Amino acid sequence: MDSNFLVDFNEGVAKFNLSGRLDTTNAPALSDELKELVGQNVEKIVFMANDLEYISSAGLRVIVFAKQKMGVDTQVFVVSPQQDVLDVIKMSGFDSFLKILDSFDD
Amino acid sequence: MEKLTLPAKLENYEQMISFIVNGAEAAGFDKATISKIHLACEEALVNVINYAYPDKQGDIEIGYNFSDDNSGFLIDIIDWGIEFNPLNKSEPDIEAPLDERPIGGLGIFFIRKIMDEVIYKRDRGRNILTLIKR
Repeated sequence: MDSNFLVDFNEGVAKFNLSGRLDTTNAPALSDELKELVGQNVEKIVFMANDLEYISSAGLRVIVFAKQKMGVDTQVFVVSPQQDVLDVIKMSGFDSFLKILDSFDD
Repeated sequence: MEKLTLPAKLENYEQMISFIVNGAEAAGFDKATISKIHLACEEALVNVINYAYPDKQGDIEIGYNFSDDNSGFLIDIIDWGIEFNPLNKSEPDIEAPLDERPIGGLGIFFIRKIMDEVIYKRDRGRNILTLIKR
């Protein structure tokens, strides 16, 4: 589990790396990093999820917070999620406002 | 039944969830199912940790049992806190647009979607939540 999720913030694109689990124990740390972006010009939030093995409602809530707080024009991407994680995103219905991608090119 | 009792605090969460996941692995579920059981139990445990003991400290007792005779993998999550039936909370409308989605309710929704049976009982001062996966 990473304690530092943000890997890059450049030209309006904030890229986060998620690995291992995103659950009740570490979702608050991600939330803190996302809060730092509020009020800045964020066009896209990109969660690189290739190494993410597990996500719970705590993790999803933080991602949805990003979408709700940044504004209607900010796009939120989840890139290359593993099947278990994709199942949970779909179960929640949040795939209707997150963009799920196989890859992301800057 | 295998049992573990710990104070209902977030610092004990890892130990609680590992206990259950080890049991699910021993029961022979595949990786995807274990991940779902893990998720349902996280949601249930976090509810107890956050809400059962508003004014004082208290314990959670977790027990599991697996029977080959189709009764499945049974998990009991017991606390001695205020009466709280998590099943009473209304489920989120997962087709609502984002600005109409309140944040709560998703955990219970996951528990019900994942587990084959979810039973709540209030008995002698205890909340008993039973989750069953076949």
